[in-house]
Amino acid sequence: MKATHHRHTMRLPAVLLLIAATVLILMPAGAAARNIKVGIIDCYSGPPAVYGNDALNGFKLALKDINKKGVLGSKIEFTTRDTKFKVDIALNMARELVMREEVDVLVGTINSGAAMAVSESIAKGQKVPFIAWISKSERITGEKGHRYVFSTGENTAMAGKAGGVALSQKPYKRYWVAGDDYEYGHAIANAAWRNLSAAKPSVVKIGESWWKPGEPDLIPYITSILAANPDAVIFCTGGRSMTNIMKAIKATGMAERLPIWIHTATDHAVLKPLGAEAPEGVMGTMDYHFYHPDISANRNFVNAFTKEYGNPPGFPAFHGYITAHFIADAFRKAGEIDKEKFIDALEGMKIDSPAGPIEMRACDHQVILPMYLGVTRYSPEHKVVISSEIVTLRGSEVMPSCSDIIESRGK
Amino acid sequence: MEWSESISIAALGSHLLVGLSRAMILFIVTSGLSFVLGVLRVPNVAHGSLYMIGAFAAFSIVNALGGGAPGFWAALVFAPLIVAGVSLVAERALFCHLYEREHLMLLLFTFALMLILGDLVKMVWGADYRSIMAPEFLRGSLPVFGSPFPKYNLFLLIVGPVVAVGLWLFSTRTRIGKIARAAAVDREMVGAVGINVSWVFAFAFVLGCFLAGLGGALVAPTVSVTLGMDHDIIIEAFLIVTIGGLGNMWGAMVGSLIFGITQSFGVLFWPQFAIVFPYAAVVIVLTLRPKGLLKSVW
Repeated sequence: MKATHHRHTMRLPAVLLLIAATVLILMPAGAAARNIKVGIIDCYSGPPAVYGNDALNGFKLALKDINKKGVLGSKIEFTTRDTKFKVDIALNMARELVMREEVDVLVGTINSGAAMAVSESIAKGQKVPFIAWISKSERITGEKGHRYVFSTGENTAMAGKAGGVALSQKPYKRYWVAGDDYEYGHAIANAAWRNLSAAKPSVVKIGESWWKPGEPDLIPYITSILAANPDAVIFCTGGRSMTNIMKAIKATGMAERLPIWIHTATDHAVLKPLGAEAPEGVMGTMDYHFYHPDISANRNFVNAFTKEYGNPPGFPAFHGYITAHFIADAFRKAGEIDKEKFIDALEGMKIDSPAGPIEMRACDHQVILPMYLGVTRYSPEHKVVISSEIVTLRGSEVMPSCSDIIESRGK
Repeated sequence: MEWSESISIAALGSHLLVGLSRAMILFIVTSGLSFVLGVLRVPNVAHGSLYMIGAFAAFSIVNALGGGAPGFWAALVFAPLIVAGVSLVAERALFCHLYEREHLMLLLFTFALMLILGDLVKMVWGADYRSIMAPEFLRGSLPVFGSPFPKYNLFLLIVGPVVAVGLWLFSTRTRIGKIARAAAVDREMVGAVGINVSWVFAFAFVLGCFLAGLGGALVAPTVSVTLGMDHDIIIEAFLIVTIGGLGNMWGAMVGSLIFGITQSFGVLFWPQFAIVFPYAAVVIVLTLRPKGLLKSVW
């Protein structure tokens, strides 16, 4: 007890000095046209760090260009905090960024639960704009949306609707639905099934199976689905379960027997490590591919990214990149560093992205993005399985309508 | 629900095989855990980490050798040896000073070690998802009872019994195996007859960890090699050794079979709630036989 007390008294002057020094360093910057401060909370440790780092790289790449030109006569600077994929840490970090670092905008995170908590108690509570860039829960800008939260990512409603609409155009009637037994898996399943059965009322769900996220042995699930003999299967998996299900599909030759749709099955981050073990013929949806659309904006982004980080951008990098541009353009339009004016400027804002022009929808603060439906096929050019026969579903086709959103928020 | 009509004898047969092949991986990992529990009385929570290191080491070996079949076979041999090397260092530097401590202490210590090893794996291999391939002739599937049965699972069905017989021969036919078994029953007596118990313990520990590494290397081609594998396996492994009988190798086999097969049949009979079946089996076994099915050495 005594020792701890002693240590604290020793530390206090040092801490005070550090604070004084920080204040001194920051003062000149504040006195002139001050920099715009973006606080990023995301997961930089454990398996989800793959996504957090990729998003951050996209964001940093965009800032290099943005700061060359400058925003309102100054620059955009950022500071990151590791949430360790935990909701309480995310909340503390966000609070610290707002109170101590006095950030103008909060950005984050791969964890939907954390994004929702930050949105509710920090963004709404402290009136600080928060941009969710890679969390996929539709509730962030859906029923739980409000003035201070935005999303520059795709969400489960968009993914599910893309899958549902795409499948409704196929002749299949009897479906089996299976996936990871957690929020993301069920959210995708519900959204896909809701949209599929709305577009085609004759479909029936003949069975469901749910496994724990990361389940290493998916073979029994596949053999039981094959035994039930549905017309098509909807798998709702994410993270490391993606690799496991793709391997199990390949090992059992399931894709040759049944049509399968899995959101993100066509994700390069899933397919590349699998190499020749990636199954062909699986339908997947994705919000971004570095090889599609093959337009100059995308090629320029991919080349710059690859040059800087040694590998092509994944979908998180795309969202990080557009987030930086949305922030820069919104402050330029607002004309000053003011949170309320920033929000007004961002509503309905259109920017040019690597995937073409995109818009931040004013009614729900959800970015309007196209979705790419494709089938996994080996590409001799890329030496891996990629998405092919890509059909682009426009943002307006895959997003819930503004009136649906307003209705869900009213509940 | 229409699933009842789909449960035929063929489906039962194919699910039995699938369950058995999963049980083989579980057996290889848990027999190592059980061995360490039996001989050293150490509830090694870090056993799962060694399994994960085995999988990552297999990934590195396969990649270093160009990703082909020779790499896979080399990985099956050398990945467990790498894990054995890591565990030898851990045993000589840390564990050998702690055998006399109470179990709670050991539990906390090995838990800490699990967290440390997890971070070390992240530092060495990074957080990306990794994947390795089985050799060409073990890819794809064969029709068994009308269902596709992956060839690799067939391979596991051969490896599992080979490891079991090897372990049995080792513990009954070799001197060091007999000493280890004796130490499991009465370690003071073994020391009293003039055997260097410290090295017997080191050997037992390393052998147990070798099996964790072998399990990791064997499972690597079927899953995503990634952080978090350690947590996935360790809870199942402890449940299996508990229902089988602590420290009993055949108990580990029986426990693994129960776990693998209830899971596989659970998926067939009640797919929405398949997760529950193995755990329900554990509850039933422990209610009826609190000390496990076979004789516990504790």
